[in-house]
Amino acid sequence: MRGPRSTVDRLDKPSAYFNSRNKRRGGGRDRHDRDDDVNMHPEPEDDPLKDATTLYVGNLSFYTTEEQVYELFSKCGEIKRLIMGLDRFNKTPCGFCFVEYYTHQDALDCMKYIGGTKLDERIIRTDLDPGFEEGRQYGRGKSGGQVRDEYREDYDEGRGGLGRAIQSERLREAERRDNDTTEYGRLR
Amino acid sequence: MADYDRRSSGGGGGYNNSKKRRYRDDDDFDRRGPRRRFDAPPHVRIRKQLLAIAENPMRSWHEEVVSIANLFTDNWDDELLRGNFVDLILQITVEQPLKTPFLAAVVLVANTNKPEIVDMLLQKLADGFGNYIQEGDWRDVKLYLKLLACLQSCLEGEGVFPVLENLFSRAVDLQTASSEDTIGTELVKIILLTLPYIMVAAPGQWAQKAADLMEKTDIIASEPHALQTLIEPYHAEGSEETMNPSTSIIKLLQTQLQVEANSGWGLSFLPRPWEFPAGDAEQQEKLNNATKHALPTIPIPETVVAGPRPLFPEVFFSVYAAQEVESVPSEATAASVLIRDALTDTINILDFNRHITARHLVEVDCFFAPRTFAARATPFDRLRDIEPPKSTWKPEDVAVDAVFSQLYQLPNPEHKLVYYHSVLTEACKLAPAAIAPSLGRAIRFLYRHVHRLDLELTSRFLDWFSHHLSNFGFTWKWTEWVDDVELSDLHPRKAFIRGAIDKEIRLSFAQRIKNTLPEPYQTLIGPEMEKETPDFKFADDHIPFAAEGREIASLLRRKAPDEEIQPVIERIHSLALDNNLDPLVASTDVFVTSVLHVGNKSLSHVLAAIERTKERLLDAGAASDAARTQIISAVMTYWSAHPGVALYIIEKLLNYSIIVPSAVINWALINYAGATKGEALAKAHMYELVFNTVMKVTGRVRQVAQRPDDDDGSKDAEIGAMRELFRAIEDALVSWASGNKDEMMEMDIGNGEGKSEREAHLGRWGERWLRTFRRRAAIEEAFLLEAAKSAKAGNKNDVAVSEAGAGAEAAMENGGL
Repeated sequence: MRGPRSTVDRLDKPSAYFNSRNKRRGGGRDRHDRDDDVNMHPEPEDDPLKDATTLYVGNLSFYTTEEQVYELFSKCGEIKRLIMGLDRFNKTPCGFCFVEYYTHQDALDCMKYIGGTKLDERIIRTDLDPGFEEGRQYGRGKSGGQVRDEYREDYDEGRGGLGRAIQSERLREAERRDNDTTEYGRLR
Repeated sequence: MADYDRRSSGGGGGYNNSKKRRYRDDDDFDRRGPRRRFDAPPHVRIRKQLLAIAENPMRSWHEEVVSIANLFTDNWDDELLRGNFVDLILQITVEQPLKTPFLAAVVLVANTNKPEIVDMLLQKLADGFGNYIQEGDWRDVKLYLKLLACLQSCLEGEGVFPVLENLFSRAVDLQTASSEDTIGTELVKIILLTLPYIMVAAPGQWAQKAADLMEKTDIIASEPHALQTLIEPYHAEGSEETMNPSTSIIKLLQTQLQVEANSGWGLSFLPRPWEFPAGDAEQQEKLNNATKHALPTIPIPETVVAGPRPLFPEVFFSVYAAQEVESVPSEATAASVLIRDALTDTINILDFNRHITARHLVEVDCFFAPRTFAARATPFDRLRDIEPPKSTWKPEDVAVDAVFSQLYQLPNPEHKLVYYHSVLTEACKLAPAAIAPSLGRAIRFLYRHVHRLDLELTSRFLDWFSHHLSNFGFTWKWTEWVDDVELSDLHPRKAFIRGAIDKEIRLSFAQRIKNTLPEPYQTLIGPEMEKETPDFKFADDHIPFAAEGREIASLLRRKAPDEEIQPVIERIHSLALDNNLDPLVASTDVFVTSVLHVGNKSLSHVLAAIERTKERLLDAGAASDAARTQIISAVMTYWSAHPGVALYIIEKLLNYSIIVPSAVINWALINYAGATKGEALAKAHMYELVFNTVMKVTGRVRQVAQRPDDDDGSKDAEIGAMRELFRAIEDALVSWASGNKDEMMEMDIGNGEGKSEREAHLGRWGERWLRTFRRRAAIEEAFLLEAAKSAKAGNKNDVAVSEAGAGAEAAMENGGL
């Protein structure tokens, strides 16, 4: 990469999500004065992503298959490993995956050329990732999927409709109503 | 113009940062609300304004240029600002080349007040320029020259001309030394591209100098380059008598500039932000009388290098050629090459932010003289109504054309193909009403010419087309090609349709794609394609070895140890012998098909299944040629309805060395092509299979070739194997191309016309395949030659396949192209 920062932003930088998580853990960089020309040559620091070959891919539909991911992501280079994100309990796809390339450059290119484009008619999101570890393929949400699918208020057909917490809340409500009513068994 | 979303700052377009967090990092300083008025310091304001220069069509260039220059000179005492200003001007010059003339104008105006700034700039520029030449960064050399050219009016003496003359004499040396030299050609291209900017920066003064220079460049520019046939995008059919080969960029430039010279260097499309309107005579006066500066000497080294990117001659490619109304500048005018050059540079430089690239493309008219283009989003049909001398050039067409010129550049564009896909997607998202119809016309053009496009380009077209549609809900006016569904599968247009549908399905699923297609196409998606997993042929008792197949599958499914499998394999062997079949082939087919069947749930499943049975598969692959071929055959047959999966599995089998590349080539071009009486050659996924396999081998050889020589000769072995592979491809294809293939001669499907049409198609497919793979072979030879050279020179630096030189040409000659 060039020394001074570019005249336009780069798309192959880690997302704010990664940086903020990193910051909370103590590391991470000082984000002040990105627009300050004094700082045109930032100090290099030990970056866990500097050789990253793995990408986290998010906002997939639950129905998107490995084959589809493979078809799109191979456009940036041969894929070394593909790990589908699974619901912790059902072991069914839950809308994310990890794509590992053979080279760092392929991963950066993927950030630039594929992140933010569509797969299976959904805009997908990519983020550089320090590398897959066993266990990370499972959703961390309460009900087994991804956290974002717990309280989601919009109806997303590709990701199981409403957020799961909201769904089960509604289910409980409906049950309560059913119990209150005399019209037993009548569908509402 | 209301549909052009203008983002607030120079950054913009990051999808990757969620709104809430991103904002803190953004360039805007006043977002915290109106309560706190905060004026950013001058260096921040200047940076912001310089970055956005000329982007706002509502603001006059002169106003903008003067305001930036004044803001700068008013804060002259800020030393930091002075240094940053120079750095930034130079950086924008090489990162956003469409803006160069405007930056130059800022410098020219600043020169009227603080002439020192120009000396500072020239010094830094000269230093940087020297480095770029040293490294062979020819594009940056060109972009610096463009800035210098725009500053010609404030340079002493002859200004930029001596630099150009020096470069030219280097070009002459190189060209005299070797006719296959590509650096010299590149230098001449750079000289010719710089000239027009000098002529508009200092009008009326340099006509004689320019004429002298062009007289000299003529010899190099007009001679067709030895390697030009290699990169010709069209492959004429024998019967197509009138197809002219494409013209090289430098030859075009030479001719175009001659025309310009004869008409007094009008070049009306180039922006002249340094010319002030009549109402501002005072400013103009100041500019005319500003201090002139000496250009520091720029030494040009004795030997120049090709640099990080391989150099090849370039030809002019347009998807809007020969239309009834000129929607893009014709090859006859300098605008075609100059605008194209500025756009392709922008595209290739800004690959790290496709949103910005797309924005520059969509707003291309901001960066050229007013009235160069028709109004944005003028429908093509309306161009006819435009009265001359008004321009009929559609800015969208010009922009889209530039992207296609890169997507279809041979031998390779600068970036991965998918980058160019993403630029087109982004442009289409930014201004759908303007861009989409232009893309539609480009698609129609390419489809019309699909039979004579180079086969590699046809494949790129297929890949882009399906990928593009996948980003826009798979909508395309398929009805207009409906008649072609009836064509034979050997017809290039029908082959394209089939290939495109397959690729669409791979990115989606069969039922979805079926719903997007009109009725007549529905038959192209058979029921087997709609099934998620293929049938297991051994489920049918009429198939030989059905019982054994089922038994192996169930053993595999319960992960039985190999000892339990062995007896079944032996049973197959003896059964096969009884039936006069090759026992190894029979057992390999049963075993591989069973592995595939057990792993048919997903790619991970099949990979795990292969992993578990790797030893046996390796043994099968090593057992005999026939068995090895049978592995491939089993994969391709089992997944025939989903070629994408088959190709994936083949790739992994190659990685495991269960099969070798030559086996894939043999299977595809001899076994399968023979069995299908040549129809294999018309299948897009067959080309993909062979191409991917070749690329895997060549990629590997390139890595190996750059290593220092090893003792065990493994380097030579790999290179030898690659050459062997290309030879095998050549041998297999030559007989198809020349019509000598046994299968072709025996063909008795139909007589008379039907038969000869079939033969013609097959011969043509053979020729197109052959040309593509001969080129690949030539390019690799060139690479090896260069790698050997730089190894000898002890230059461990990098890749630099500079000259496609002698190697490529020799290979082409051997190939007889």
